Amino acid sequence: MLKKLRYIVLVLVIFDHSASAQMKTDSLARVLDEVVVTATRTENKVSNIPLPIQVISAKNIRFSGSQKLIDILQMQTGLVIANNPLGTALQGYPNPFGDGIQMQGLDPAYTLILVNGEPLIGRNAGILNLGRIAVGNIKQIEIIRGPATCLYGSDALAGVINIITENPVKNSLNLQTHYATNNTLGLTVAGTIIEKKTALELFLNRYSSDGYDLDKNIYGKTIDPFIDYSASAKLTYNISDKNKLTLSGRYFSEKQFNNYLIYPQSEPEIVKGTTSETDGSLFARFDHKVNTAFNYTASVYTTSYSNNAAVYLKKNDSLYEKIQLTDFLLRPEIQVNVGKDPAALFVAGAGYNFETVNSTRYSSYKELNAWYAFVQKQIQLKGKTNIIMGARFDKNSLYPAQLSPKLAVAYKIKSNFILKGSIGAGFKAPDFRQQFLNFSNSLIGYTILGAHELGHGLQMLQKTGQINPDININPYLHPYELSPEKSIGINAGFDYTINSHAVFKVNFFRNDISNLIETYNLPFNKTNNQSIFSYMNLDKVFTEGIEANFSYNFNHNFSLFGGYQYLIAKDKKVLQQIKDGKMYKRDPDTYVTSLVTKSEYKGLYNRSRNTANLRFQYNNLMYKANAFITAKYRGSYGFSGLNGFQNGSGVYTDDRESVKGFVLLNATISKQIATHWEVQGGVENILNYKNPLLMPNIYGRTYFINVNFKLEK
Amino acid sequence: MKTKTMKLSVLGLAALMTGIISCGKKDNPTPTPQASLSVTDSIQVPFSSTAPYTLYSFKDSSVVPNSDSASLKWDFGIRFVNIIVNSHASGPGNAGVITQTGTYDTFPSAPETGYAYDTTSTKTAIDAGYTTGWYTYDPTNPNHPFFPNAGEFFVFKTADNHYVKMEILSVGYLPFTGQVPVTLIYKFRYTYQADGSRNF
Repeated sequence: MLKKLRYIVLVLVIFDHSASAQMKTDSLARVLDEVVVTATRTENKVSNIPLPIQVISAKNIRFSGSQKLIDILQMQTGLVIANNPLGTALQGYPNPFGDGIQMQGLDPAYTLILVNGEPLIGRNAGILNLGRIAVGNIKQIEIIRGPATCLYGSDALAGVINIITENPVKNSLNLQTHYATNNTLGLTVAGTIIEKKTALELFLNRYSSDGYDLDKNIYGKTIDPFIDYSASAKLTYNISDKNKLTLSGRYFSEKQFNNYLIYPQSEPEIVKGTTSETDGSLFARFDHKVNTAFNYTASVYTTSYSNNAAVYLKKNDSLYEKIQLTDFLLRPEIQVNVGKDPAALFVAGAGYNFETVNSTRYSSYKELNAWYAFVQKQIQLKGKTNIIMGARFDKNSLYPAQLSPKLAVAYKIKSNFILKGSIGAGFKAPDFRQQFLNFSNSLIGYTILGAHELGHGLQMLQKTGQINPDININPYLHPYELSPEKSIGINAGFDYTINSHAVFKVNFFRNDISNLIETYNLPFNKTNNQSIFSYMNLDKVFTEGIEANFSYNFNHNFSLFGGYQYLIAKDKKVLQQIKDGKMYKRDPDTYVTSLVTKSEYKGLYNRSRNTANLRFQYNNLMYKANAFITAKYRGSYGFSGLNGFQNGSGVYTDDRESVKGFVLLNATISKQIATHWEVQGGVENILNYKNPLLMPNIYGRTYFINVNFKLEK
Repeated sequence: MKTKTMKLSVLGLAALMTGIISCGKKDNPTPTPQASLSVTDSIQVPFSSTAPYTLYSFKDSSVVPNSDSASLKWDFGIRFVNIIVNSHASGPGNAGVITQTGTYDTFPSAPETGYAYDTTSTKTAIDAGYTTGWYTYDPTNPNHPFFPNAGEFFVFKTADNHYVKMEILSVGYLPFTGQVPVTLIYKFRYTYQADGSRNF
């Protein structure tokens, strides 16, 4: 197992061109009516969209001075960092999975991450390294909560996070130098050139850190040193008033320097090596306005991701382990938009996914082919009611076809009070690991076979004498066809504009997930008496809760934002067992066994019932200075086996498994020091919260300073 | 008639993975006839699915040397997650076992019939399957969390026709530094009916 980056990387927030524009438009009206594209795949005002949608502006990112996308996201309402439970238990051993964002109580694998509407590939155990996304050229981040599968297909169960990068609008040059604790250095260059009908935006970033060590008693660093390089370019060419061509490309590479102990036998050995992650994409789109009521876009997106890790024994430089993964996607797509009113469009589209994957842990090169089509109709009735109806059909070569409908309605009771409700279906396709994994643990000896690999894998094991010849494997030779994990998501709430300064939004949500893919063991063992595991659709869970957001703008220069989420997430099988009187617990001190009651069951591990966040922003025009303070409270949550606790139930019923809540507090001050120059200084995690075992991604208090240069013409 | 119950004290912390787990030391029980013997014991078992089974005698409350595996001296054996009883494929005895759901403390008496036997070496009376067995263990987690499922215990009919109810209380490890534990510590309690009665 090799280390993948968890501590994300990134890019610097540059003092970009949206800055001055935002000063002028930063008003309440803007808060309510930003233009978003994620909800409908067309440009629409937030007020026309009957879905819970949130926009994180470039201004907020810039004021925070933050370099890491995950740090920006985790300060938002209801979003928390979810460490892979496996990763957190590693105690100094490199974490192969990293951290992702939990949304509406669902694991990171259930939120789709898009950059300019196109998906990133290369998830590791469902978690996408958010460090691959540079922060410095983000125009805005659009977050939709609730299933968005009807437009985007697999993975969009909890919702979608769409990172929208800057469009080249005027000639500019931006530079940034960032320096932070742990010898973290970021350098950014971004420029835009407009030449008649052509506009080009370039972005380059280098980011490196020495990493850190939270436990000196464990050999190796908690976070290893790394260097990242990011580059992106976007070219737009207005062929005519009616035709536009957009070309863009993105590249990211990271090299991480690993150094840790392994135990090939009982004596430890030092291994050293590197883990390299590379991610690139190319995108071409042609927009054609046929007339005022009809336009279409045709696009081709291709992306490739690879992860290569190799570590060598220090004593003799011999190769100890090499892991390699390559993932490739090619996607042509066409979308047709019919209608004049952006709030009453008919949209239809279709596309084809050609995906390949190759890994040392899969038995061979794999191909996945899928095509999809979607339709959506927006309706506006008497200016009071907005309706979106849509559906998407996905046909994949490996699992049954999926139809994912959605209906969303908003009704304006008064001009300042809008009721919103939506219901939609979502699905998550079985991932490569669940389909194709063919992995035998060399130390313990168990084997995990993906559902699609099961028959072939068992034959090989029996052929090589690892399964007794008298065991009948025939019933398993027809591969078990994994179905996608499915969800029904309901969101309902209101937006209440109290007065010209204050807005209050409430959203209730409920997600019912079924067909969850879990591991199971085959009813026979290998000849070494170890289990063989595979994957099957088994469990059902739900998450529900309420999210509330309040924003108050005292004036253009002084604003406050608060958010809160209450969350319940439970396993339906566990609830049934409790109901049937079959769920027991055994007190680890007294050994008294008793039935688990419904009220004792606290729900899924790693979900905080309460989370809250605050954001405070102050501009001082006289001193050309800005203060930005954010706080996030993550309430108590359950962690399986905390401090060795076990009560034999396997579920969270006891406060001895509760991790105490904590607050992350960040503050940044920015000051313009000359016409084109700005200096930013900040402190992250001011309260110095640490939990090396469960939250290795948190170093403790860190400091940074940014020097920003901006030139516009 | 008065039933004498002996409680034997055993060192051994319930907490897993705290690092200080010592093997049980106990007085030699000298059960008089017609006594029911209640014991809490812990034994060390190699963390290996190929090592010989660690054999145990209820009557003597002790581990039986492997050289006696072909005798009636032992009642059950543990190897990693697998448990055997002294019967059929596993030993010369005629011991059987029932995997029982419920609360150990209030379980009143052993059934007369329904005992399962180790029919073959790969099909044993006690299900030790990863997702179906008597325990929960995650080999893919570096801490190797391992615990007996609450509300599950065993009712044995021993090789010499005595009845025993037995509950595994915890499974822990001797401190280990590598990725794989070396020694398991099984802690369990049982009540042995020396007079052959089925009542506990």
